[in-house]
Amino acid sequence: MKSEKKLFRYFLEVIMAVTFIFVANITSYGQDELQDAIVTLSFIADGEAKIIQAKATDQDGSPIEDLELYFYVQRTFSLLPIGDFFNTTDENGIVEIPFPEDLPGNSEGHVKIVVKILESDMYNDLTLEVIKNWGIPTRVDQFEEKRSLWAAAANAPITLVLGVSSMILVIWFIIGYIIFILYKIGKIKVDKHSHFNEEKYFKDILENF
Amino acid sequence: MSKPNIELQKFRTKRGKRLLSHLISTSLQYKLWIAFLLLLIVLGFIGYYRQLRYGLVVTAMRDYTSWGIYISNFVFFVAISLVGSLFSSILKLNKNLWARPLTRISEIIAVAAIICAAVIIIVDMGRPDRIFYVITHLRIQSPIIWDVIIISTYLVISILLLYISLLPDIALCRDRLKEIPKWKKTLYRIMAINWHNHPKQIALLQKVNKILAISVLPVAFAIHTVTSWLFATTWRPGWDSTNLGPYFVSGAFMAGAAVIIIAIYFVRKHLKLSKYITNLHFDKMGKLLVLLSLVYLYFNINEYLGPAFKMVGVEGEHIIELFVGKYAPMYWFVQLGGLVLPIVFLMFNRFRKPLPLLIISIFVVLGAWFKRFLIVIPSLQHPYLPIQGVDDSYLHYNPTWEEWTITISSFAWLLLIITVLIKLFPVIPIKKYRQDSEIIFKQNIF
Repeated sequence: MKSEKKLFRYFLEVIMAVTFIFVANITSYGQDELQDAIVTLSFIADGEAKIIQAKATDQDGSPIEDLELYFYVQRTFSLLPIGDFFNTTDENGIVEIPFPEDLPGNSEGHVKIVVKILESDMYNDLTLEVIKNWGIPTRVDQFEEKRSLWAAAANAPITLVLGVSSMILVIWFIIGYIIFILYKIGKIKVDKHSHFNEEKYFKDILENF
Repeated sequence: MSKPNIELQKFRTKRGKRLLSHLISTSLQYKLWIAFLLLLIVLGFIGYYRQLRYGLVVTAMRDYTSWGIYISNFVFFVAISLVGSLFSSILKLNKNLWARPLTRISEIIAVAAIICAAVIIIVDMGRPDRIFYVITHLRIQSPIIWDVIIISTYLVISILLLYISLLPDIALCRDRLKEIPKWKKTLYRIMAINWHNHPKQIALLQKVNKILAISVLPVAFAIHTVTSWLFATTWRPGWDSTNLGPYFVSGAFMAGAAVIIIAIYFVRKHLKLSKYITNLHFDKMGKLLVLLSLVYLYFNINEYLGPAFKMVGVEGEHIIELFVGKYAPMYWFVQLGGLVLPIVFLMFNRFRKPLPLLIISIFVVLGAWFKRFLIVIPSLQHPYLPIQGVDDSYLHYNPTWEEWTITISSFAWLLLIITVLIKLFPVIPIKKYRQDSEIIFKQNIF
């Protein structure tokens, strides 16, 4: 009787656990059901002012209001945020931010503008990248191309390269030569039965040293 | 119960017995000493694990003081490694025969110090796994690259110097030491590379000795001069000086000589070598230390008088900080306790006896270590282009316990390498030349 009760209780516990896992899965699935937003970018150059306009719509084409977008410009090592701290779409799904006038681009003034949706409650993350020639062209300084102490490794001054290399070669040649002599010492065949006058030999050597 | 190995081993001469017996018997004192060093090394590993785990933020190094005690310790190790060249080149080429028994120990210290210097640089790196980038992204214009090249060169030369002077003695150990473990026999056999005192072998070894004695000198000067250029080529107060190369080299010889005195004191005491390392050696080393300290004093005057006379801008602030500011106690301890007073004391005969000389040398070595601290840290705290509104932690540098444990363990490594090399190989050259013996006998050194 007691064991039957125990078995029933165990069965009930299993049923409850399975039900809990099932419900939890459904709930989380419901939370993950995010939509894809469509963001279109327009670039408006009005004289000096440059504006990036982003329009967000859902799959039906209806504008999305209060959607946070993040604007960046790609720099050498990371993304530089531009615009306000929060850039939220209005009732027409539009947000506009001014593009800074003083950002350097590549030699032709090209910069990569990156727009992102990040961790929205309703929409999936999204990244758009557009290259525009809105940056200030960076002129490659001819001076840097010359061989100098402050140039890149490939443009080291020839005198320095030759000076350092020859010093390294000379000293490592000597090291190599010493190791070669040690090798020769090891290869000398020694006849253990022949005895030589060690005392006399050392004396001779040292007198000539 | 079997007899200890030392009693089974037969020695041909008294000299052989005195110089080789420590290779066979291991005292309890030695084991305790090794255990103590290993304990310090383990503590260092704990500090280093934390540094690897959390990054260099566990140190006190920040944007201003980006080189801390690791780098001052590195400069110290490079400095004392120069002592090998002092004995193996300068004193040897000048035929100072009294220095012969100290040559081996100076070479052992040089090898141990340069190994520790190379390792401490890697410890200073936040990402030690990127060490090979130094080679793959080599930029010959950078003094750091010159330093990497010269340190590796000097390391190889120091090992060769030690090995070549050891070679006949290793062969002697191979032939005569019977009561030693098998691994030691194998070690001696491999390292002796078929050396049998053959006339041709001796002639070749003499040749190598001559080449090395001459070529080690420019390399030794280069290693510490290049280390000084790491500072001199950086635009900071206290470093912007043309004096820095000779200033570093002379300081290195002084510190090295003091380290040798400390080493020979303990070697003589523990290995009972008072017949070979005599009071005369201490007297000569004391005189050598005075000479080297006077040269260093001269460069010190040159280093500080000019900026102190002009007191220009940040350079003046740096001088005030050292002379009367927060680093003044350390600065005056270094200059007076580690330089001026040792010179004065060592002028007198009675202070060149072993024990007083040991105490003076300890002060010189302490002074030399703190001197490197004073060269590196206060300069970094006075940049020519200060950053606006810096965090308060940038303005001070008090090393953290992780830095101290790692630094102390680097000293433990140094002592461990020296101890193990002394335990493995004869510390006084056993093979001696007849001509040397005659002169040494006349000078009454032995």
